[in-house]
Amino acid sequence: MSSITTLLQKPGALIECDDDPEAVFDMLCAKGWSDGFPVIPPTPERVERMLAYCDRDFDDPVIKIPPRFGAATPVRVAANAVMAGCKPEYFPLVLLALETLAEDQYNLYGTQATTHPCTPMLIFNGPVAREVGINSGHNVMGNYFRANATIGRAVRLALVNIGAAIPGTGDMATAGTPAKWSFCVAENEAASPWEPLHVEMGYAKDTTTVTVVAAEGPHNINDHESLTPEGILRMVSGTMATTGSNNAYYAGQPVLAFGPEHAATVAAKGMTKAQVKQWLYDDAVIPLSRFSEETIARRFRRRNAEQYANAPLDTPVHMWQKPDDLIIIVTGGAGKHSQYIPTFGITRAATKPLKRADGELVKSIEELKRG
Amino acid sequence: MAQLTKRGLLAAVVCSDSFMKLGKAQAKVFGVPDLPLLEIKHPLGGLNMDQVRERAAVAMPQLLKFINTSKENNSGK
Repeated sequence: MSSITTLLQKPGALIECDDDPEAVFDMLCAKGWSDGFPVIPPTPERVERMLAYCDRDFDDPVIKIPPRFGAATPVRVAANAVMAGCKPEYFPLVLLALETLAEDQYNLYGTQATTHPCTPMLIFNGPVAREVGINSGHNVMGNYFRANATIGRAVRLALVNIGAAIPGTGDMATAGTPAKWSFCVAENEAASPWEPLHVEMGYAKDTTTVTVVAAEGPHNINDHESLTPEGILRMVSGTMATTGSNNAYYAGQPVLAFGPEHAATVAAKGMTKAQVKQWLYDDAVIPLSRFSEETIARRFRRRNAEQYANAPLDTPVHMWQKPDDLIIIVTGGAGKHSQYIPTFGITRAATKPLKRADGELVKSIEELKRG
Repeated sequence: MAQLTKRGLLAAVVCSDSFMKLGKAQAKVFGVPDLPLLEIKHPLGGLNMDQVRERAAVAMPQLLKFINTSKENNSGK
């Protein structure tokens, strides 16, 4: 295994700066190695401490991040995790998220460089997510929780600093989204009436996984009145069916993040996740006539000619391609709100389990502690 | 286009002005820093046919110049 001392001898590995947080922050911003917020200076000692739970070769890339195709070696990622404010025990989850973004179907190249406001939404399931304290309760998509804030932030810093997703050069987002600073949640498995996402995907309940989605920011669904599954779902489908969403045209996989109270109402009479997906697929539709004339002529009739060349104007346009494409999780605290998260167009979600370097599943983060 | 260039074929990329920085950076990343970028006005989406023709009229001379220069260079070898 490469040692930190050896790696730091490589040209350009070290850079000197006054020992002052403001000076470090100024220098990093000047070099474009920042997300605009202050960071923890990534000194060699801190980077070494960050690697305390890393059982990989420090110099072996887990992914080459486009558009620069920079090598995301553990030591480089660790520097970004230090900057983000991660605890060392979060680090394996940062690496796992980056590794999962490398899956072809996610389309990291396209999602990095696009004009669309997408960013990796990290959905964690399983015991290690709870062990390190990823929030799945109140304000799950908001501020305050260190694990959520810094794991997502470390991934974004790596995408910028290693992958060169620099606005206007490598990241061409027209407006972007505040979710680009961090968008990291855990599923509230204890509050879900259904099997959690990773179990639905075939993993054991005690496996820790991350699912990455090329997501927009969350869109709220407020429903304080509905008392039935169909009532809640009608309000959900109305929020989903919007003409400006990529999901009306492409094969992305949007996420419906039920608040636990909405989920309980929907599941009260035994509706399964698959039934919820089918119900919403059928109900979250927009008649073709609701799109602009040009969109109908160019996007639907020409580019999607097989389906829409001669379709009447009352043809329902579904908000995702196949019922099962919708990803459903339960997360958040008390309250009558759920979240809908549309996605980039040419992308599919990807999921990976947390494993040790020898391929064994990790049951506790402490298994990865070195020395 | 980078792959085509590396195989010895003439290749160029039409690129709108807003995307020139990305285009130049990507050409470098893919190992063809001199890949010709035919610069046209942004945007490419949401154009009517007249606007498409305008952009084609701007791109075409750049393309012809590239082809002719490449021919001259090759004949000199």
